[in-house]
Amino acid sequence: MRILLVQPAPFECGRIGLENALWMSEPGALTAIAACVEGDHEVRIIDMRLEEADTLPRVLSSFKPDLVGVTCMTTDAYQAQAVLHCAKSILGEEVFTLLGGHHPTLVPEEHDFEYIDAICIGEGEDTFKELIDHLESGNSRQSLEEIDGLAFRRGAERVHTGKRSQARELDTFPTPARHLLDEYKGQYFFASAMNMAAIQTSRGCAFDCNFCAIWEFYERKVRFLSSKAIADQMEMCDEPFIFFLDDNFLTRPQRLVELCDEIETRGIKKFWMIQGRTDFVVENADLMRRMRDCGLMMVLSGFETNDAGTLEALRKDNTRENYIKAAELLNELSIITTGIFMAHPDFEAQDFDDLYAAINEMKITIPLVVINMPLPGTQSWRENQHKLLTKDARFFDLLHAVTPTKLPRREFYERYAAWNEATEASIDSSLSWRFMARRPRLMMAMRSGLKLFSQRREVLRMALNDPENYLRDEEGIIPEFPPSDPQETRQELVTEVVGV
Amino acid sequence: MSAILAEKDLIPQSTPDAPLLPTWLSELRDEVSAHPGVNHLLLSRLRTGRYTKGDYKVFGLQHYPMVGTFTRYMELLLLRAPSSEQKLWLAKVLVDEYGEGSDGDDHAKLYLRYLNSMGLVSGEEETTPLCSAVWEFIGIHLRICSEEPFLVGLGALGPGHEWAIPKMFNQIIPGLERAGMGYEERMYFDLHTEQDIEHANWMSQALAQLGQDEEARALVRRGALLSLGARFRFWTGVERCVVARRQPHSVDAVRRGILGSRRPDREESPGNRRDLRTAIQDHWAGKSWPVPLPSDSTLIEVSQ
Ligand code: B12
Ligand code: SF4
Ligand SMILES: [Fe+2]
Repeated sequence: MRILLVQPAPFECGRIGLENALWMSEPGALTAIAACVEGDHEVRIIDMRLEEADTLPRVLSSFKPDLVGVTCMTTDAYQAQAVLHCAKSILGEEVFTLLGGHHPTLVPEEHDFEYIDAICIGEGEDTFKELIDHLESGNSRQSLEEIDGLAFRRGAERVHTGKRSQARELDTFPTPARHLLDEYKGQYFFASAMNMAAIQTSRGCAFDCNFCAIWEFYERKVRFLSSKAIADQMEMCDEPFIFFLDDNFLTRPQRLVELCDEIETRGIKKFWMIQGRTDFVVENADLMRRMRDCGLMMVLSGFETNDAGTLEALRKDNTRENYIKAAELLNELSIITTGIFMAHPDFEAQDFDDLYAAINEMKITIPLVVINMPLPGTQSWRENQHKLLTKDARFFDLLHAVTPTKLPRREFYERYAAWNEATEASIDSSLSWRFMARRPRLMMAMRSGLKLFSQRREVLRMALNDPENYLRDEEGIIPEFPPSDPQETRQELVTEVVGV
Repeated sequence: MSAILAEKDLIPQSTPDAPLLPTWLSELRDEVSAHPGVNHLLLSRLRTGRYTKGDYKVFGLQHYPMVGTFTRYMELLLLRAPSSEQKLWLAKVLVDEYGEGSDGDDHAKLYLRYLNSMGLVSGEEETTPLCSAVWEFIGIHLRICSEEPFLVGLGALGPGHEWAIPKMFNQIIPGLERAGMGYEERMYFDLHTEQDIEHANWMSQALAQLGQDEEARALVRRGALLSLGARFRFWTGVERCVVARRQPHSVDAVRRGILGSRRPDREESPGNRRDLRTAIQDHWAGKSWPVPLPSDSTLIEVSQ
């Protein structure tokens, strides 16, 4: 079979987003599932974020795939659908269209369209392999009941097959087929780390933060790749930088010790970036130092808030002291900190000021302030659904307020959009000369990326610093808010907009 | 998420089946049907995304100037038709295009009805700066119909338009519906999915007779591809205008090449609809088109 896998571009041509300006990660889902069928089939991946607008129709009509598969998180929803629609439009009914990823897994009913033949629910490897085998053997696309982890249409009926088990050890999955991305090599990046690979070393998370669906997606279980397998994959990458995609890399100190052993024994010289919690950083200072020596260059953490009460409400199970100490420690170790902070829709002017002051105090290298929102599939979604002003998937990018704001919307966005400038001091004090002098090799490796990133940051600034950008996005979708009687209008607004 | 999201979806119709097409024509029909100009992602995005009346107005203001010009291309081509039989075919389509198929309402009037329903402020349709892709599209068709061999013109207006339009508009209509436009308001589009199927069949008959040898067929194909290539760039131009309405910085960034686009936008707008009318009149009087036109090297071929 000929199989085309597509990473959609979340936006229309030429729109600025976090992807093209801050963090462009390779489509790890697609290389993972491709690896399961690659030997027996002709597989291609296209990353639409890095392609011109005519690439998809061209490839569809020249490669003539039998199956088109697309990956999708919430913000990608309409664009992912557009790709599958385009596939049917060019290739007709015969092409099998398949959607997978976090959004269709958590809310499959939102992708119930005639141009989507099936949805992969949850982990993709085995489901994909079984589906391809099924279709390859000439079986009907209407009789997919035997394959666990699918939602599909049988005439007017919507069929959900059995649950896909997540018992399989990560080491037994084939190594992701990263070579299918060769033509994009050098174009993936995080900030100044240009030419970056990505490896997922664990799946799932043991915590249960109410704004995150990872623990539900992976059914509260956590599985790990062995340190040997991780090191094997690291050796296969010829990129100087690697992003470990795990949502929570910093767990099980013993596994990390083993990973450091492998890296040292094999003499692997890569710079790597991770996402992890600050409490772990604080509790494992020596291990952090050792990981730094083995190439750890950046830790991305959810700092979420400067307010203890809110932390409690988010079920983050962490303390503000940890955040401050972790930032201090990482700065001391010359490890770049990326901190995600949350502004809340019920913020008042003072709350914004306090948050920015707290960030500056912590000296975070790359602070990012996002807006707290219920993402589909999360605890917070279930609790706050009735408050939503819109269910338009594009707004679930953590940069828009999808629930009513306490301040008038314009003022809210004015205060919010100020974060980038208001936290400059944090960046400056973190990226000291001392910091850079300690890691000359890292600085050398980032040399070419630094210039590009400074251009990109300019672009990001244009997009993020102008409150009008957010308001214009909402025009015609979220009515401006609020006029004279906030209580009453809010109620009307909610009923009016949610129904749309 | 809402009931609307779970709506029944229709797969866009493929181009109409004209009766008994010779192989070369049915191959050309497949090529047109798969062409990026007919399957621009913007069209699928309009289909699956959540564009508002405001967005559709931006779209419409760029599209409107092209609506009145099809008849002009036909008139130019009519002058070049080598036999009276061919003149007759073209004239038949032309009469419809003048408005016979829509109760005498000509296409431009129908289109204004659509623009008005999206909150057009009177006069905007004249003063809105048009992106260069609109100018390019019109310029290239004027050139094709007045300077290229007759069959290139027929390829551009037949397969390039009449075959392409029903499929493109079928993708646009559901989005218009979702944005709240009723049949009356979007009639321009609905009409073209119906009427153009007939036009396409008349054209197919003409093409079947005229495309007797390889050379003739190549001319027809070239015309179709020139037209569809311009159409592709038109959709990209419209998409940028839609983005720029909400995110003007984004488009600036692309223009400056910062987002790594390999094809940054060239331009400032070459002018509005008034300027365009003047340019068309000047062209009629023999002056050259004010905007550079792409060469054949930009043809987008769809390999079979
Ligand atoms: C890298 C990454 C990004 C990248 C881009 C993603 C990409 N595709 O390149 C960037 C940085 C741009 C990004 C941005 C955002 N992200 Co993000 N991101 C990730 C991250 C860390 C890794 C993704 C990855 O490669 N995983 C590895 C692969 C192997 O796993 P997978 O994607 O789940 O794929 C498996 C299955 O889902 C399935 N599958 C997936 N696709 C397909 C397709 C087919 C056809 C099939 C059969 C199967 C299948 O099979 C795969 C193998 O088992 C995930 C976390 C995670 N654990 O996945 C978050 C995650 C996807 N992001 C998330 C969020 C919320 C965001 C943001 C909205 C907010 C933010 N600030 O991060 C933004 C929004 C972007 C925007 N447009 O505005 C959420 C998604 C929630 C949701 N409802 O969709 C996640 C899950 C994180 C979380 N903790 O909740 N992200
Ligand atoms: S936010 Fe991080 S720690 Fe919390 S559940 Fe998600 S992955 Fe785990
Ligand atoms: Fe017509």
